[in-house]
Amino acid sequence: MISLLRKIRAAGRVAEPAPPRPAPLPAPVAQRARDLRGSAQVRCVDAGSCNGCEIEIGQAFSPVYDAERYGARVVPSPRHADVLLVTGPVTVNMAGPLRSAYEAMASPSLVIGVGDCAIDCGVFAGGYGVHGPVGDVVPVDLQVPGCPPRPDQIVEALRRVTGR
Amino acid sequence: MNLVGSALAVAAGSAGGAALAAVVLPTRLRVVAVGALNALMGAAGALAGGAALAGESFAAHLPVLLPLAGVYVGVDALSGLFMAVAGAVVLAAGVYQIGYARHAGGGRGAQALWPLFAFSLLLVPAAASVSTLLVAWELMAASSLLLVVSGHRGGGDSVRSAGVWYAVMTHLGLVAILTGLVWLAAAAHSETFAGITASAPGLSPLVRGGVFVLVLIGFGSKAGVVPLHAWLPRAHPEAPSHVSALMSAAMVNLGVYGLVRVGLDLLGGGARWWWLTVLILGALMAVYGILQAAVTSDLKRLLAYSTVENLGLVLLGVGAAGAFHDSGHDELAALALAAALLHTVTHAAFKTLLFLSAGSVLHATGTRDLDELGGLRTRMPVTSGLFALGALGAAALPGGAGFPSEWLLLQSLIHGLAVPGITVVVVLPIAVGAVALSAGLAVATFVKAVGTGFLAKPRTQAAEQAHEAPVSMLVGMGMAALVCAGLALLPGAAGAALRRVVAGSLPGSGAAVTGGVAGRLSALGSTLSPLWVVAGTLALVLVLRGLLRMVARAPSRAAVLWDCGAPPPTARMQYTATSFAEPLQRVFDEVLAPESDLDVTPHAESAYLVERVAYSRAVPDRIEHRLYNPVIHTVRRAGMTARALANGSVHRYLGYGFTAVVLLLVVLAAAQ
Repeated sequence: MISLLRKIRAAGRVAEPAPPRPAPLPAPVAQRARDLRGSAQVRCVDAGSCNGCEIEIGQAFSPVYDAERYGARVVPSPRHADVLLVTGPVTVNMAGPLRSAYEAMASPSLVIGVGDCAIDCGVFAGGYGVHGPVGDVVPVDLQVPGCPPRPDQIVEALRRVTGR
Repeated sequence: MNLVGSALAVAAGSAGGAALAAVVLPTRLRVVAVGALNALMGAAGALAGGAALAGESFAAHLPVLLPLAGVYVGVDALSGLFMAVAGAVVLAAGVYQIGYARHAGGGRGAQALWPLFAFSLLLVPAAASVSTLLVAWELMAASSLLLVVSGHRGGGDSVRSAGVWYAVMTHLGLVAILTGLVWLAAAAHSETFAGITASAPGLSPLVRGGVFVLVLIGFGSKAGVVPLHAWLPRAHPEAPSHVSALMSAAMVNLGVYGLVRVGLDLLGGGARWWWLTVLILGALMAVYGILQAAVTSDLKRLLAYSTVENLGLVLLGVGAAGAFHDSGHDELAALALAAALLHTVTHAAFKTLLFLSAGSVLHATGTRDLDELGGLRTRMPVTSGLFALGALGAAALPGGAGFPSEWLLLQSLIHGLAVPGITVVVVLPIAVGAVALSAGLAVATFVKAVGTGFLAKPRTQAAEQAHEAPVSMLVGMGMAALVCAGLALLPGAAGAALRRVVAGSLPGSGAAVTGGVAGRLSALGSTLSPLWVVAGTLALVLVLRGLLRMVARAPSRAAVLWDCGAPPPTARMQYTATSFAEPLQRVFDEVLAPESDLDVTPHAESAYLVERVAYSRAVPDRIEHRLYNPVIHTVRRAGMTARALANGSVHRYLGYGFTAVVLLLVVLAAAQ
């Protein structure tokens, strides 16, 4: 126990210094984001992604980028969540579960589409198993472009939601 | 003739009337008339008991009723308690059977027998002589046996086997009681209880001990003492529910009554080993009974095993009372006895409610297997609510009927730890542990019964098509529920009556001693008032709801169940009663010794392909298997061997008779 505490003290903070505060959200989304009062519980939904975005989301919550210090936290169920972090083009099989996950969240809630595929299906557009971009299934409030987006871009989007 | 006597006469009259009405009236009218007369008998019995509890006593000698001795009737506070309990149960079950008889137990014979059985339950505690008690006891045993087998047309083999078990066990018990009481009467040179009480102190310890052991076996088998309990989980489930309510809530109590009457009242207490035996048997019953209840998935079998548990707690209290009395701690003895008797009353209240509710579940769905029920809360809301109330009582949680009495029992045991003596010091902590363990297992058992039986989704078509019980059944259950709620909220009200009973049945206990009981009970009412606990909890829930509504910023919204995005959950994904009990069964594996059987049939063409897998699992009553099966086997083999004696030759039989007469004459000549 003592050695653990000692190690924590010796290691200090390993996260990158905080970048400057991002631009505020547009008005209608900003009101809902303000209702969250700086604390966003995030549920990730992989709607058909190649898992590139998942790796970057994992990095965003790693000690280096540490999204948790801005008030965002990953939770295991949409029932606990305020924010849905959706990746990938929505496949035919995932359209229903994505919709029910969105409906399972308590309001106020936000949806963030992560990656180019979430915006316009990316290279998968027109595939036989692809239903369409995330915006076709649930209303998207914020989008993070990139294939895949860098972790600091994801952190920036989450910071715009928490306002910290 | 005072109130007790007149009420008893009314009860006798209405019992006769009900039996007669069942035989002569046409079917449609019969059910209602018999039910009403039964309810009247119950009310009269409860009134007689209540009057006796209030301090009246009654004695009568009816010389013409029974040849040679006549019938002695005597009602004191102790009889009054058991009579009031039996009367109240008869009242509730009598109203209930108006609706239930259309479903089961509604045949002419069964309807005529029920009032006789119910009246015998009032008669046993009123008996004041050995012969009267034995006649009433046998009436009770025989009528209940016939009622158990009355459902044999629909039930088949299990009913028949239950009937045989019950017949054998109850008559072995009768033989033990008969031998014990006749021995006692012969030694005391008197047949009436008054005469026996007067001359009991002068009897030799051998006679007193022998009599006590015999009545302990006899009355104990009726109360379901382990290992004599084998008939109980068979007979109670197979009997129609208004019969099993009577058996489980009123008949088994009479075993306790007999033990208290003979052990404490007639014999005036006794050696310490008597009561330590009773105490240990009680602790064993409590734990074993509830353990079996926790792993069974048959609703009525569960309730029957819960009866074993509760009677175990009662006997534990009675045993502790006797042991404390023996060591001269009369205040503790009075407290333990009061706790035991209060538990008898509360057990009768919640077990009536539970058996009647189980009956209405059976009536609505046709099954008593918890694994096939579920979802009854929306289909039969009143029954479900009443069952939950009874289950709260059986789980002995605060707010339930069973809590005050179990709390009082624990208190008396814990105070008893101060009593010197190596046996008491060893036994009492184990008894406290047994009470605590059985209370904990009871919570798990009844969470299982309510949770898997009544909540969630229906598992079968039968449960899906369940419907609420008719009004008369609900009224009968409602009566029992009212008594349950009253006992749970205002246990202090029973203080005065209990004090009178304890003062009457505990020899040599003065007013100061029994004053302690009333004090303790009223202290229970004031320091740990269940009424205020319940009112406070309800108020807290309401305030919290109100606060949440005020604080909430958005109006509440109904959402579908979160199913992880998978297809909607089905009833097959729910916990069943068996799966709920599986962890407990695993913990108590060594005690329960469940039997499972896995049978894999390979495909005809290849040993690597499986054609069929059969798995079966059962938790048999281990004591029953280990103890009874060898005896039954031996008796059967002896019977088969004895067949060689009877080969059909008349000459041989004449020879047997001749030899027997000659032997008898030789013996008589030698004895002269």
